[in-house]
This record gives sequence, structure tokens and C-alpha cells, in this order.
Amino acid sequence: MLKNILQVKNLSVTLGNQKIIEGVSFNVKPEEVVAIIGPNGAGKSVLLKTLLGIIPKTSGEVIWAPGVKIGYLPQRFQVDKYLPMTIKEFLNLQPKQEYKIEEVIKMVGFPIEAADKVLSHLSGGEMQKALLAWTLIGKPDILLFDEPTENVDVVNQKSIYTLLHHLQDTLNIAIILISHDLHVVYRYANVVICLNKEMICRGLPQEALTTEKLGELYGDHAFFHHSHLGHTHD
Amino acid sequence: MTENFLAILFSGIFVAAASGLVGSFLVMRRMALMSDALSHVALPGIALGVIFHFQPLAGGLLFLFLGILLIWSVEKKTSLAIESVTGVLFVTSLAVGALLIPEGELLEAFFGSVENLTTFQIFFQTVISAAIIVIVLSNLKKITLISIAPELAAASRISENSMELLLLALIALTITIGIGFVGVLLISALSIVPAATARNLSGNFKTFLILSVVLAVISLSGGLIGSQFATIGPGILTVLISAGLFVISLLVKRS
Repeated sequence: MLKNILQVKNLSVTLGNQKIIEGVSFNVKPEEVVAIIGPNGAGKSVLLKTLLGIIPKTSGEVIWAPGVKIGYLPQRFQVDKYLPMTIKEFLNLQPKQEYKIEEVIKMVGFPIEAADKVLSHLSGGEMQKALLAWTLIGKPDILLFDEPTENVDVVNQKSIYTLLHHLQDTLNIAIILISHDLHVVYRYANVVICLNKEMICRGLPQEALTTEKLGELYGDHAFFHHSHLGHTHD
Repeated sequence: MTENFLAILFSGIFVAAASGLVGSFLVMRRMALMSDALSHVALPGIALGVIFHFQPLAGGLLFLFLGILLIWSVEKKTSLAIESVTGVLFVTSLAVGALLIPEGELLEAFFGSVENLTTFQIFFQTVISAAIIVIVLSNLKKITLISIAPELAAASRISENSMELLLLALIALTITIGIGFVGVLLISALSIVPAATARNLSGNFKTFLILSVVLAVISLSGGLIGSQFATIGPGILTVLISAGLFVISLLVKRS
């Protein structure tokens, strides 16, 4: 049995007077892909930021395995359109560099000349790849992705998930991923966590995402979506 | 050129280099008018120096530090934007300064007075400029990352609060060392204008920083040397050179 890379026990976060997350518990094992799903305002991004220590927890425990290296890709990263900074210069700002910049540029599928491309000239998909390279350069054991395809068109979304899957496969890293796309969850995740302040479900996507649980999570309109999805998946 | 002028020129090169470097971060963070507004906060301190016969710049520096601490804490503890707090402090300081400083000294504080720089001031400005350059360069990655991607910086355990406070302190120091040359009204000629020009001309970050420093040094050196041969003050000439270089950069960019 593989040791847990992360243990979350009864985690609660309150911001101001508002309870954002309540009593969330789960574990992540090495090389596991955990998808977090839930409606807007369910506390998904707050959960990731609490795991990273950016937002303080109110109660509960977040226990990372000793020496674990974490990569994080935030939901939004907008670059000033006048910022004169190349991908290479951006990657060089990463405090912990274990791979060479050229190596991570290749890993994410950029041609080597892309190193000199200016950040503000990149498309949404290219920017996500640059951020992915940023997270990889520290040779992480686990990657935390907050909706990695939020500002990316459909074609590029697919290629980013394929790339993530490939990287996870070749580099043997664990991934915690927030996604709105249930297709992605079914296709890539080993474990799904349904979050709406509290944890509504947890388990294998095919087992945990029952029509009832999705209805509870998203409201009635999800019933139709799920039954439609169920046909395409089966 | 006198020996004193050469010392002023030498000091000016350091002051301009530090201003250009700090200015590039202000431009990058869209805080271009911050140093301009904040510079007025020095006026009541300068006034106290003039009235009680101690070094006016020391008074100015003290008030700038108090000002940035006030701005920083109000911004952290209330929902007010940093520009709003600076705006209130800026007009209040300007009014208090104008009330307390005698007319002659007020003009010097507004537009600079290179001819009245003492040996102590020249030495002080040079040492502080060198310190600013060393501090920025040794924290370059952290300051840059926090400026362009605060979330990535936070995930990398870089403290946003301490870096913001450091940057504000660097702005206060940069203003203090620049006041003697260009005065509180024209301070952005040394920091913001060269950085804005550099941004127009740069295709990468390294060039941006280097150009920002070089253009600030050219502007101030040009102002100091040019004023020896013309009837125009060095502060005003520095601004005109700086603005001229900005216009040229726009033309170069368009072509």
C-alpha cells in the first residue's frame, strides 16, 4: 500500500463570518489524479489555496508527506499586455529550479525557440503551457491545478488535458485538479471529490458520481447533463 | 567644471540609476503616479527641517516613511485602494508643506536645487542610491514575481506583505535622494518617464531594466551638464530630456 502524499482531516475554512469549507477529509496517494468538482462558490479554489497555506485553515489538519514538492497553477494569471518578459525570463523567476528551463519548455510541447516569446503575445493555450512549465520546473511530486483550461478554447483544452495526462504518466506525479468538465473527470481522474462547502461525494468517478449526488451538488439541471454524459461514457 | 560639480554629477549617476531601477517596478505594477503623489508627503518633513534648522532631507525621509506606513496599514485594514489613501495624504501634505515652508525654500523643494546641495547631501544620496541598487538586485526575482504574479509568489512562500513594504520603503528612499536634483514636483522624470520609455523600446525584461537605468542616467547627466551651458535649471532640463527621449521612443516604436 502506497503511503499518502497528502492527508486532509476534517478541514474547515471560515473567511470573515462565512463558512467556506466544512469538515472536508480526503487522502492523495502518489501518482493519483484527484478531481474536485462543484458549483461556483463551492469553495474549490479556497480548498486548493488552503492546502498550499495561502489561506489559513480554521480547523482540521493538512498533512503533507515530508519533503514533498508541490507545483501550483492558479485559476487566473493575466499578464499586463505591455510587460516585456519572455517565457524564459518568466520561468527563471521560479525560486526552486530542478529542471533546466529548456527541458520544461520541451516537456510542455513548446519548440525551443518559444523560450524567447514574450508572455503578453501568448494565446490562452500557450499561456497555460507556460504556466505548466512553471509548475514543472521545481520537479514537483504533486501538481495542484485550479481549472487549468478556464481561459482556453475547446481545442486547446483537449490538448492541455492530454498533455497533463502524458506528463502525469511519464513523470509519475500526483495531480489535484479542479474542473467543471465531467468528461475530463471521467477520463483522467482516479478519484473524484464533490464539494459544495461540505464533501458531498468521494470515490471512483464511475461509482461516486451518481445522478442523486450530482443533483445534490449542482441542482436539478445536472440530472439531464449526467444522464446524457452517462450515454457517451458508456 | 568645478570639483563640486563633478561630485554632484557622480552622485547624480547613482541617484538616476537607483530611480530608473525602482521606477521600472512602479511602471510594471501600474503604480506610475505613486512616486509623484508620495513625493509631496516629504514636504511637511522638509518644512520641519527648515524651521528647526536640521537637515530638511532627513525630515522629508522621516515623513515619507511615516506616510508609507500609514498608506500600507490603511490599505491592509480598510477596503480603500492604495491610490485613494495616497491621494488624501498627498493633498494634505502639500497644503501643510506650502503653509510652513518659506517661499524661497518651497520653490527649491518643488523643483530641486542642485547648486545648494551640501557635501553631506551628496555623500548621503550616493550611499543611499548604492544601497537601493543592491537591495533591488538581491531581491530581483522576488520583487518581480510579486509584481507580475502575486498568486504564484504566494504559492512559492514569498510574503506579499514584506515585499510590498520593501517596495514602498524603496520608493520613499528613491524620492528622498531625487528631491535635491529635480524636486518633489518633477520626481517622476527620474523614475517613471525613463521606465515608460524603456518599456516602449524593450522586447524582454533584462533590456527593460537596463534601458530604464541607462535612460534615467542620460536624462539626469544631460540635465546637470546642459545646465552649465544654458540658463535653464538642471531639474527642468532633466525633465525635458527625459520627456524628449519618451517621445522619440514612441516614434521608434511606431516605425
